[in-house]
Amino acid sequence: MLRSLATLLLLSTAASAETADGEALKRMTWDQIVEQARGGTVNWFMWGGSDTINAYVSGYVADRLKADYDITLNRVPISDAADVVNQVLSEKEAGVTDAGSVDLIWINGENFRSMKQADLAFCGYTGLLPNDSLINWDNPAIANDFGVPVEGCEVPWNTVQFAFAHDSAKVPAPPQDMASLIAWIKAHPGRFTYPAPPDFTGSAFLRHVFIHAAGGPDRLLGPFDPATFDATAARTWAILNEIEPFLWRGGATYPTTVTQLNELFANGEIDFSFNYDPAQFGLAVQAGTWPETTRSFGLTDGTIGNTNYTLIPFNSPNKAAAMVVQNLLLSGEAQLEKAKPEVWGAAPAIEISRTPPEIQEGFAAIKTHPSVVPAAELAKAALPELQADWLIAIEKGWAANVGN
Amino acid sequence: MTDRTRIALLLAPALLVLAGLFLTGLGLTLLRSFRYLPGLGLTEPDLAAYAAVLTAPGFLRSLALSLWIATASTVIAAVLALAAALLLRQTFPGRTLIAFLVQLNLTIPHIVGAIGILYLVSQSGSFARLAHAAGLISAPAEFPILTHDPYAIGIILLYVWKELPFITLILLANLQTLGEDHEAVARSLGASRWQAFRHVLLPMVLPGLATASALVFAFAFGAYEVPLVLGAHAPKALPVLAWQAWTDTDLASRSEAMAMAVVIAVVGLALLALVARGLRLGGQDAR
Amino acid sequence: MRADRMRTLAALALAGFLILPILPLAIWSLAHGWRFPDLVPQTWTLKAWSLAVDARSGVLHSLAVTAGIALATTLLAALIGLPAGRALGLYRFRGKGLVTLLLLAPAFLPGIAIVFGLHGVFLRLGLVGTVPGVILAHLIPVLPYMVLVMAAVFSRFDPEFEAQARSLGATPWQTFSRVTLPAVLPGLMTAALFAFLVSWSQYLLTLAIGGGRVQTLPLLLFSFSSAGRNDLTSAIALLYILPGLLVLLVTARQVTGRSLALVGGLRP
Repeated sequence: MLRSLATLLLLSTAASAETADGEALKRMTWDQIVEQARGGTVNWFMWGGSDTINAYVSGYVADRLKADYDITLNRVPISDAADVVNQVLSEKEAGVTDAGSVDLIWINGENFRSMKQADLAFCGYTGLLPNDSLINWDNPAIANDFGVPVEGCEVPWNTVQFAFAHDSAKVPAPPQDMASLIAWIKAHPGRFTYPAPPDFTGSAFLRHVFIHAAGGPDRLLGPFDPATFDATAARTWAILNEIEPFLWRGGATYPTTVTQLNELFANGEIDFSFNYDPAQFGLAVQAGTWPETTRSFGLTDGTIGNTNYTLIPFNSPNKAAAMVVQNLLLSGEAQLEKAKPEVWGAAPAIEISRTPPEIQEGFAAIKTHPSVVPAAELAKAALPELQADWLIAIEKGWAANVGN
Repeated sequence: MTDRTRIALLLAPALLVLAGLFLTGLGLTLLRSFRYLPGLGLTEPDLAAYAAVLTAPGFLRSLALSLWIATASTVIAAVLALAAALLLRQTFPGRTLIAFLVQLNLTIPHIVGAIGILYLVSQSGSFARLAHAAGLISAPAEFPILTHDPYAIGIILLYVWKELPFITLILLANLQTLGEDHEAVARSLGASRWQAFRHVLLPMVLPGLATASALVFAFAFGAYEVPLVLGAHAPKALPVLAWQAWTDTDLASRSEAMAMAVVIAVVGLALLALVARGLRLGGQDAR
Repeated sequence: MRADRMRTLAALALAGFLILPILPLAIWSLAHGWRFPDLVPQTWTLKAWSLAVDARSGVLHSLAVTAGIALATTLLAALIGLPAGRALGLYRFRGKGLVTLLLLAPAFLPGIAIVFGLHGVFLRLGLVGTVPGVILAHLIPVLPYMVLVMAAVFSRFDPEFEAQARSLGATPWQTFSRVTLPAVLPGLMTAALFAFLVSWSQYLLTLAIGGGRVQTLPLLLFSFSSAGRNDLTSAIALLYILPGLLVLLVTARQVTGRSLALVGGLRP
């Protein structure tokens, strides 16, 4: 027992602060960085709720890192990335500048904005990654994370676009746009609901209603505008309050997480679920959680798309190794592996046309899970993500005007 | 070595650890709730965090909810535990098995029980399915709302399930040390069963029951993971609200989290004071 | 007899109540596709269990970490709590009431009341995100139980035996190991069992002080539960119950009852 305790204690203090100095790294060549990274450990904090994603990271990614670079990947499963932002913030406040506990975070949206605003991100190094050339930084949906310029502070990992799921055996002809969805909700009392913000997915659903109320996204792009917000918000709350009595449990309560929404859908309590990452639908069917007859769709007036990223905190003691991880994640092979529906089914964040022919063939050969609406079809009607200020205002307004 | 030195040496490690961890944690929480943090340039303590917390509509509802959860759980668990202890004091077939189940329950972590309760009584849980099979309901929505509900029924159910065995075991152990003599004497003097219980047995087990109940109340009031699994989106149990404020990326709300933590601490200290008074009334039997 | 039947009914109700929440966990852990209104799963499978014991899922690692932390916390608590229990159990001194109250306090103050402040201290000491940090944090709720049980044990201990051993030429260590320890060992075991269980079940302190890096079973459990993987969640939940069950079976079963009597008495 004593020996295992000793090992435990040793393990916990093994983290060394060898590559905490990001400025020094920026002056190195990639080969030198890889040399520095050897033998390092990367603590990667990421949402841990999918065993298939976990297996991809702890299996494929970790194995390649170990074999090719002698880097140990420690996947740290979390329920909410906001907790990690808070952790890095606490560290900064306490003066922990080179021995932080987080080396890499799976992140986007308001959490990225918080980190960038508080100077919690390691920035300006992404050009050093060899696989940076696979990223199309000219694409505004890649170069901006929820409207916040990325500016070399994070590296794209996946692209996703919001989609709805339904059971084709129960609802053969689902509504095709927001207006008919609202009409459908009123015609089918108790069969629809959405998670209460600040749930990530519930918040995204609200933005679709908000954009619908605004008559389209055009006036909502760009920085927060109080006048436009007030006018649109009033219409949004009116719509949401109007449908509230027709929601699940008469709108008296809302699910708190997308998980609860998924569970309600799985058990046939409601007729629709939705997700920012349609690949989740396929995974849920594979896991036996959802019926085989699950199908998914976008809206003809568009659904919001975004990119999610990995970010290195300013005080990570293992920046070199974390950079090697990011570079590996970007590689054509790793992006292809996670695009396979049985692995994850995630859409790539790189330009496939810039990868070698055999990778391109691999992508071409992928058959999407029948429950997952193909990314190309969703992309026909895509909406841009609103800037984080809009998002926060919508969430706060909902709590005050609808969900009280 | 004098006795005084010896006592001081014996107590030193425990007191040092408690002072270093517990009192420091509590003290820093207190300082920060008054927004006093010289390290961050906050040198003028004020009550802004308390004012913000008290005027926020969610706080008082959360406080009320947590008090309701703790009170209901404690009362129900204590009454049922008293009955269970009286039952288990007798001999009957299967007693050993039930006594084992009671003890096993003590080892099961709260979060496991909470998930079990969720799967059991949610609108699509096992009971709802049985009700459907029996033709009582035709859809999950018709089943009573017992989890994620505003009255925290699921949470209370979990605490009763988890704390009933805890109190039962304490009572059983107390009853064992007391023996049956007193009751027998009372009965032989003509007391009815109820009178013997009410006037002889109950007063004797009351100190143990009260202490155990206070521990249960403190736990049910301050636990975080149980309302996290079983609670509704609003109002949130106070610990959940405090944690949410603490993890808010807006640093200003941290003082509010600390103020809520202080409110929770005050309730805990009040319980401790009650227990301390009860113990002193019970007399000291230390040598 | 009516009283007999009432008693049987009450006993059955109690047993049912205790066992019921565990049943859906057992079924879910073997289920593939178990949706309303199915009473039993469409397909039975060991998939969740094979995932749970797969090294990549990290479940077994978490099991080891959780057990290691609980054992270390128990050991530390015993080292600190035994002397304190002796002082409280054997001696009468000024300020004893206050000391007892202070040692008792953490049992009544929920972890959330102190954890924010503690996090600030541990952060500056570099203890956040480390196993030693989590062990120290667990000591807070564990110590009261250890100290009070040991105080009760020592209040029934006769120091005369120690004096006799020493007068016969025993060294202090010999006196402790051959006289004192055997006398208090049963009580110490019950206190240790309690300490282990309190640490074993901790959620909040581990979450805050471990900062996610120290991934104990309850954290992993919540991570899967909040993702809606009922099958995996249930398998992990059952794995999480197992060690407690084993400890209970191995230690004398009356042990818990006795230690609870000591806790329940809570008399200094």
